[in-house]
Amino acid sequence: MNKSRLKIYLAAGVILAAVAAASVYSFNNGRSPAWKPADLIKSLEGADHQVGYLVNIMDEDSKIISKVARGVSVGDQIIQPDGKHYQITRVGGNYARAKFLGNDTQFLAYCDYFENLAVPAAAVSLDGKNNLVGIYHTHSAESYVPTEGTESVPFKGGIYKVGQSLVQRLQNQNVKVAYDKTPHDPHDNNAYYRSRRTATRLMKDNPVAMLDVHRDGIPDASYYRKNIANEQVAQLRLVVGRQNPNMQANLDFAKRMMAYANKQHPNIVKEIFMAQGNYNQDLMPTALLIEAGTHVNNRQEAQKGVALFADAVPTVLGITGGGGFGGTGTGTGTPGGGTWTALAWILGLTLLGGGAFLLISSGGWEQAKSRLSSYVGREFTGFMGPVRGLRLRKRLSKKQKETLEDLHSEYSPDANEIDSENRKKIR
Amino acid sequence: MTRLPVGMIILIAVSALIFFGLAQRALDRMKLSDKGALAVIAALIIGSFIDIPVRGGANPITLNLGGALVPLVLAVYLVATAGTAAEKFRSLAGAAITTLVIWFIGTRLMTGLPEPAGRFGYLDALFLFPLVAGLTGYLVGGRSRRAAFVSATIGVLAFDVGHYFWLLGRGATGVRADIGGAGAFDAVVMAGIFAILLAEIVGEVRERLAGGPTREGKAPSLASALRKPDLGGNAGAGEKIQREKKEFSGISNSEEVKEEGRVRE
Repeated sequence: MNKSRLKIYLAAGVILAAVAAASVYSFNNGRSPAWKPADLIKSLEGADHQVGYLVNIMDEDSKIISKVARGVSVGDQIIQPDGKHYQITRVGGNYARAKFLGNDTQFLAYCDYFENLAVPAAAVSLDGKNNLVGIYHTHSAESYVPTEGTESVPFKGGIYKVGQSLVQRLQNQNVKVAYDKTPHDPHDNNAYYRSRRTATRLMKDNPVAMLDVHRDGIPDASYYRKNIANEQVAQLRLVVGRQNPNMQANLDFAKRMMAYANKQHPNIVKEIFMAQGNYNQDLMPTALLIEAGTHVNNRQEAQKGVALFADAVPTVLGITGGGGFGGTGTGTGTPGGGTWTALAWILGLTLLGGGAFLLISSGGWEQAKSRLSSYVGREFTGFMGPVRGLRLRKRLSKKQKETLEDLHSEYSPDANEIDSENRKKIR
Repeated sequence: MTRLPVGMIILIAVSALIFFGLAQRALDRMKLSDKGALAVIAALIIGSFIDIPVRGGANPITLNLGGALVPLVLAVYLVATAGTAAEKFRSLAGAAITTLVIWFIGTRLMTGLPEPAGRFGYLDALFLFPLVAGLTGYLVGGRSRRAAFVSATIGVLAFDVGHYFWLLGRGATGVRADIGGAGAFDAVVMAGIFAILLAEIVGEVRERLAGGPTREGKAPSLASALRKPDLGGNAGAGEKIQREKKEFSGISNSEEVKEEGRVRE
């Protein structure tokens, strides 16, 4: 290995170590218990049993608006059942500060829409697969301490019973359910990478929506416990991943679900939380992550909670008619827009990224412009080929002597060959 | 999906088109022609629907054709056709390091009670894998996009194999190891493609920061390939074009030239 190579490796190593040290410091500074290097070599189960994960999220008046586990970061957003929309602006220690962004008008519009919706009394079952809902558990070990005695039962957590309650209630309403029980242990971030396969497998059955059912990890049962429909139940939190180009579409679905579920059973959905992550929601605009209570709730509370939530699913997905998921509702005043916003985001990001890359790789505006124009010329040559060919032939007969120059500017076969070689090089 | 509104269908179609468009642009740097890259994309898509069951003892394995085998074959082809033994070694070393790093970050760091993704759950595995693999492959593999692709693909697949043995060790009878099951949208494929793109962006930025590609001290045939292309549409006379043609025809793979300063094939 020569010296310059060694220097590069050394520099990369130093940068990596500095970034690691800085992130460990910033993520753990002031939190209790402090992160210890020993955590890394502890067994996975050991790591799961740490305590003190609660982060209180406060508004500008220091009123607690939400409690979450540690995975909160600046930019995360919360929409509450009354339509209040917050964004995290600062995270430090065991608290986070959120800024009030105003009322979410789209969500309130959904509330109004569902308020005026005349829902048919009897569910109308549709034939075919159009009323299929896919359900799976990314964190298949998740359990409830008061019921199971531990918060983690490898490969067969109590969360499966909660999933079963959801499935049962949906089937009672003539909704078809594809319930995939594949475990994705261990309980870590890579579990999403494994559950992506399960989600894709479910998608092959063409579902209208996909639900990934979890439970939360905050050590406060009372935060989720509520008396709803004359029962003590655990409320739900809907999580939408921000690292997802489809996010606006998924958020739109989450808003519809919260609006209608809370109309049927007030407060059954505690909030919508937009967190860092993707949670495989890029696979489908109607994919959603549900947190059914937390590990210190009774499992039965969580089971009742998801069952009440299930009551809203058929109507929001249009399975029982009554407007549905916007598919038939365009003429009935259904508000919308999340999907188009997502589309605009994707196209915008692609153009921006492509433009930036073109600029960097060309080295300046002029070069980028000439490269782009020659690219467009090249790509459409085949498409416009016959027309261009005719024009060329006319010119050839007129100006025999200037042929080659003209050929180049008109994308003759020769010039094209050179262009394509050039482009290979550029790419 | 008859119930999906038009907007949503367009959203899905546009996302898929952009992803496969990017994938095609990335793959044609992997010793593939434009058409070859398209053929690989087609194989990825069609292969997504084909699961191959493998007898795995207590834990059944399914290998997805598009999500595991096609990228694996391409990666193995790239390693096998690499010019030097050192290059082969660097690619495979990159893959081994990638496996270790994604295991360490994804399983050891990003774990625990916090929901929804464990402590330090700040970046989804879908983006973590290509980031780690792309950087590892690029740095360890001698600043090569191919090494980035090999590190990502083989690294992530090796992680899957490791997970299978973990399942066996835990006695999780009957739990299926679903390798590459998400097909063209599996993290194996996405890691490979994003790793190439990342290496490409890092490479271009680095080169630009260093004042653009340099021609000094390089063989004439290489230097001519690094000459700034005149694409303004008003190139010189035919003689010049013919000369350029001649120069370019000697170089079939300019990526190699740019990155590693030598011509292969």
